[in-house]
Amino acid sequence: MKLVAVTACPTGIAHTYMAAEQLEKTARKLGHEIKVETQGAMGIENELSQGEIDAAAAVILATDIAIEKPERFDQKRKIEIPVQAVLKNPEAVFAKI
Amino acid sequence: MKEILQKHKQYLLTGVSYVIPFIACGGILLAFSIALAPMTSTGPDFSRAPAFVNDMKTIGALAFQLFPAVLAGFISYGMAGKPGLVPGIIGGFITGMPQTVDGKSASAGFLGAIVIGLVAGHVTNLLKKLKVPAMVRPIMPIIIIPIFSALPVGALMLALDMPIAKVMVDMGLFLQQLQAGSQIVLAMVLGAMIAFDMGGPVNKAAFFFGAAMIQQQNYSIMGACAAAICTPPLGLGLATLLNRKRWTEEQRESGLAALGMGMIGITEGAIPFAAADPLRVIPTIMFGSMIAATIAMVGGVGDHAPHGGPIVLPVVDHRLMYIVAIVSGATVTAITMNLVKKLTEKKPATTGGAA
Repeated sequence: MKLVAVTACPTGIAHTYMAAEQLEKTARKLGHEIKVETQGAMGIENELSQGEIDAAAAVILATDIAIEKPERFDQKRKIEIPVQAVLKNPEAVFAKI
Repeated sequence: MKEILQKHKQYLLTGVSYVIPFIACGGILLAFSIALAPMTSTGPDFSRAPAFVNDMKTIGALAFQLFPAVLAGFISYGMAGKPGLVPGIIGGFITGMPQTVDGKSASAGFLGAIVIGLVAGHVTNLLKKLKVPAMVRPIMPIIIIPIFSALPVGALMLALDMPIAKVMVDMGLFLQQLQAGSQIVLAMVLGAMIAFDMGGPVNKAAFFFGAAMIQQQNYSIMGACAAAICTPPLGLGLATLLNRKRWTEEQRESGLAALGMGMIGITEGAIPFAAADPLRVIPTIMFGSMIAATIAMVGGVGDHAPHGGPIVLPVVDHRLMYIVAIVSGATVTAITMNLVKKLTEKKPATTGGAA
């Protein structure tokens, strides 16, 4: 399955990137393809293109704060969870898809 | 109800995420300018300091002055998007204006900014929902919403400014007047909160309290937090070094990473340990962080930057006590951790026995 995700925590220096890594690792393990955009203290990194978003089956939003450019995902099925959920049990997050 | 609270927490954290770099800029520049100015018995003398030191002080102070405006603006932005910025920033700016309370200069500060940021977001969202004729629609975002959100929000803040500033002053006084005993209790609570979820919401609540108090010129809250922040990863890393047999190869590697993260004040370095063994690790690191925070508080440690760990040492007051606090906290964490492991890990071998 093709997926996209956005991670963002309040400070944007550790959890944002740890969650992104965890999502990538777990996706690989479960045989999914995923691209994770991080919105940390440096702003948007690894930005998702509209094409990538359109091609994805679902969007995982692992965010504790309001994200930038949320309108990109208006038409998509969204799984909205706190960042902590990804760190604690990443496979449960994928089970929600 | 729970969902509404959850949403509001998200709005607040959005504002916090934008304001943290401002506190860092203001706190660190001010601390350095004070350190570089010639010291006299009545404090630093900026009239005899070089021009660039005065510039640092001015720029740092300005970053602090912007703090309430940025916080309120981005809380409102998190709720209502772009149109939320105008009422939020204006309301927050009013909050930050100094005024006289009981003969002393004060401002409604971060408390006012939180209140008015949320109000601004709600007002903007209401205005966005108004059904208007197609002809008026283009001028909604550029004329109608900015004016009709800023006007009531600004007026409300002008009215609330004085009472909230008074609360802030009282809170500052309360913190200053805390007796040694209650100071220790406060430090213990902060330390426990910092370690409890290692960078999660509970940790951030304690952290943000400390950071906001920096702007109120009370540096000891952040001082206690700063020592507590780095204790879990440093302590656990140290534990893997002290008794290598008790830890797996993988844990020993995370131990080194944790030491590195601890040095730069990232509590999250403790997560790999806590995730694998939460029931034993979390109480242990809470204990260690409580000790670090308490020693820092009692030792009069103040931190001028909204960050923790040895990396902020240059902008810390009472540096020796800061080091003592961190070393003690980390050592206690490490020894307790290995002891707890030693005492409890025998149990699996005696399954079913009366242990």
